[in-house]
Amino acid sequence: MIEFRGVNKWFGALHVLRDITLSVEPREVVVVCGPSGSGKSTLIRCINGLEAINDGALVVDGQRLGDRTTNMTGLRAEIGFVFQAFNLYPHKTALENVTLAPIHVRKIPRAEAEASGREMLAKVGLADKFDTYPAELSGGQQQRVAIARCLCMRPKIMLFDEPTSALDPEMISEVLDVMVGVAEEGMTMMVVTHEMGFARKVAQRVVFMDAGAIVETGTPEEFFADPKTDRSRAFLSKILRH
Amino acid sequence: MIWFQLQSLVGSYPLALRGLGMTVALSGISLVLGTILGFALGVLRTSGSRLLSSAIGLWVDLIRGTPFLVQIFLIFFILPELGVELDAFTAGIIALTNLAACFICEIVAAGIRSVPTGQVEAALASGLSKWQRMRQVVLPQAMRVSLPPLVGQYVLLIKDSSVVSAIGLTDLTRVGWLVVQRVPNGLLVFAIVGIGYFIVCYPLILLARRLERRMSAAHGEVQL
Amino acid sequence: MLENFSFRTIAEYLPLFGNGFVATLWLSIVSFAGALAVGTLLCAMNLQRSQVLKLPAKIYIDAIRATPLLAQLYFLYFGLPRLGIVLPELFVGILALALNSGAYIAEIIRAGILSISRGQVEASVASGMTYSQRMRLVILPQAVRVTIPPLLGQAIVLVKDSALLSLISVAELTRAGQLLASDRFMPAEGFITTAACYLLLYYALKSLAVLSARWLGVRPIRVRA
Repeated sequence: MIEFRGVNKWFGALHVLRDITLSVEPREVVVVCGPSGSGKSTLIRCINGLEAINDGALVVDGQRLGDRTTNMTGLRAEIGFVFQAFNLYPHKTALENVTLAPIHVRKIPRAEAEASGREMLAKVGLADKFDTYPAELSGGQQQRVAIARCLCMRPKIMLFDEPTSALDPEMISEVLDVMVGVAEEGMTMMVVTHEMGFARKVAQRVVFMDAGAIVETGTPEEFFADPKTDRSRAFLSKILRH
Repeated sequence: MIWFQLQSLVGSYPLALRGLGMTVALSGISLVLGTILGFALGVLRTSGSRLLSSAIGLWVDLIRGTPFLVQIFLIFFILPELGVELDAFTAGIIALTNLAACFICEIVAAGIRSVPTGQVEAALASGLSKWQRMRQVVLPQAMRVSLPPLVGQYVLLIKDSSVVSAIGLTDLTRVGWLVVQRVPNGLLVFAIVGIGYFIVCYPLILLARRLERRMSAAHGEVQL
Repeated sequence: MLENFSFRTIAEYLPLFGNGFVATLWLSIVSFAGALAVGTLLCAMNLQRSQVLKLPAKIYIDAIRATPLLAQLYFLYFGLPRLGIVLPELFVGILALALNSGAYIAEIIRAGILSISRGQVEASVASGMTYSQRMRLVILPQAVRVTIPPLLGQAIVLVKDSALLSLISVAELTRAGQLLASDRFMPAEGFITTAACYLLLYYALKSLAVLSARWLGVRPIRVRA
C-alpha cells in the first residue's frame, strides 16, 4: 500500500530522511516513534506529498509520487491526514468541516454528505456537536472531529502525525479510543506517536527512527520487551519512565 | 451679511446636490471596481508565479509612492496622447479604481498571508484543488483579518475622490470651490462641504472600528 | 507624443524641478514637525480621564479623518482671510498639512502607548511608581520605539499629500510638473519627472521605515481606523 525505496530528503544542508526503505501492507497498522527531530513527521508528510522527496522512490496506492502522471489531488483524497494541531477550519462548524471535502472533492450531493457526516461525527462520540464551531470544542473533541473529517472521505490510508501531543492528558484516551476503533475496522494506518499503549493494542509493527534513519523495526512485543539497539533502549527508558 | 450669504448658499443647493451625486458616483463605482480588481490582484500576488507577484508588487509601489494628484494628471493628460480618448469622469474612475485596487491588493495579500499554514495543509491533505482551497478555506479566513482595513480603505477612497476636482469634475469639493467665488465666506462654505463628506465617511470609520474590536476580541487580545 | 519624449526639455527644466524637490522636502519636514507637535498634544488630551480635554481632541481627530485634506486646505485658504488672517499660500499649506497629519499621528502615538503590555504596567505599579514615573520611565520609552515605523509611514503620506499644495499655487514638485506641462504642452515630460522625484522620496522613506523596524526590533502595531 505504501512503499519507500531508498528515500532521501534534505532541508537545505540538513539530511532529514536517510535511505528510508519501508513497506506497509493493506490493513496494517504501523506506529512510528523516535526522539524529536528524528524525521518521523517528515516521513509521513511525504506520503501525501506535503513534503517532496529528493531521492529514491515512494509508491502509494500503486502510484509513484513525483511522477508527472500521478494526480496528487486525486491521491490525497484517498489518504486521510490527522495533524498534531488539528487544523480544523475555524470558520466552519463541525459538520461543515467534515462535509467540505466530500462535497467539493468527491462531488457527493450535499444531503448525502451531511448524512454521512452526521454518522461519522456520531461515531466519534460527537452527536451533539454538529453545529458547534471548533473554538467552542475542547482539544480532544477537535481532534475527534479531525478524524471524522478524514473518515468522511472513505480513505484507503490514514496517517496520524502526533495526534495526541497537543492534548491535555485527560483528553488523550478519548482520541486514542477512536483511533483504536478505526484500526479495528481494518484501516491501513501509519501513526507517529509515543503512546505505547496504543502501539501494543493495535499495531502490527513499530518503527523506531533516529537522526533521519530507521534504526529498528519489529512487532510491539519484540520492540518493547527486547529493544535491539542502544538508541532504542535509551529512548524507551525515557518515555516509559513517565 | 451672514443672513444674505446663507440665502445665497441655499440658492446653490441644486449645485451642491449635483456635487454630492458626483462624489458618490465616483467613489461608489471605483469602490466596486477597485474591490474586484484588488481581490484578484491580491490572490495573484500571493499564489501566482513569482514573476507575476513581483510585477504586481512593483506596480503597487509605483502607485503608493506617487501623489494621487500626479496620477490623475498622468492619466488625464497622457492617455489621450497615446490615442485613448477619455473624458474627465472616465479618467477619474480609472485613477480611483487603480488606486483602490493597489491598496486593496496589499490588504488582501496580507490577509491571505495571515492564514496559518496548517489550514492550507489540511485543505491540501483532503484533496481540495488550488481554487477550492482559496475559495473554501483561505479567503474566508483572510476576510476576517482584511475586513476592517478594507472599510478603512473605502474612507480613504471617498476622501481621495475630492482630488479629481483638479481636472474639473464637479464633485462636492469643486462645488465648494465654485460657490466660494460667489459667496466669499470660505469658513462657512467649506465647513458645509466638510459636513457632506463627514456624513458619508464617519459611519464607515465607526464600522471599521467596530469590526476591528470584534476581530481583536475574537483573537483574545487584551483591550486596554 | 511619447515617441518623441523630450529629455532635453526635462534637462532645461531641471533647475525648476530641483527647486520644487527642495521645496517639497523642506515644507514636508516643517509640516511633519508641526504635525508631531499637534499629534502629541492631541494624544495627551485624548488620554486624559476628564472629558473637558478628551472630547475636543476626539471630535477634532474624527472630523479631520472623516473629511478630505483638499477640503481642509480650501477651508483655510478661503477661510483664514475671512478672519482677517492673511498668510502666504505656503504657510497656509504647511498649516493644513500639520493640522491634518497631526490627527493621524495622535492615533499612532495612542496605538503605541496601548501596545505596551499590561504586564509592563502592572510591573511598574507593583514597584511603586507614580503615574508620571510609569509614563516617563516605562511606557513612553517603549512606545516611542514602536511608533517610529508607522510615523515614517505617515511621513510618506504627508509628502504625497503635499502635492495638493500645488492647487493653491505653492511652488513645489507637482507645481513644477504643471508648469512644464502647460508652458510647453508636455504633460508626459512634466508629470513623469514629477512622479520620479516623488518615488525617490517614497523609496528613501520606505527603506528607512523597514530598516528602523529591523534595527529597533519592533513588531507592527495596529493603528485603529
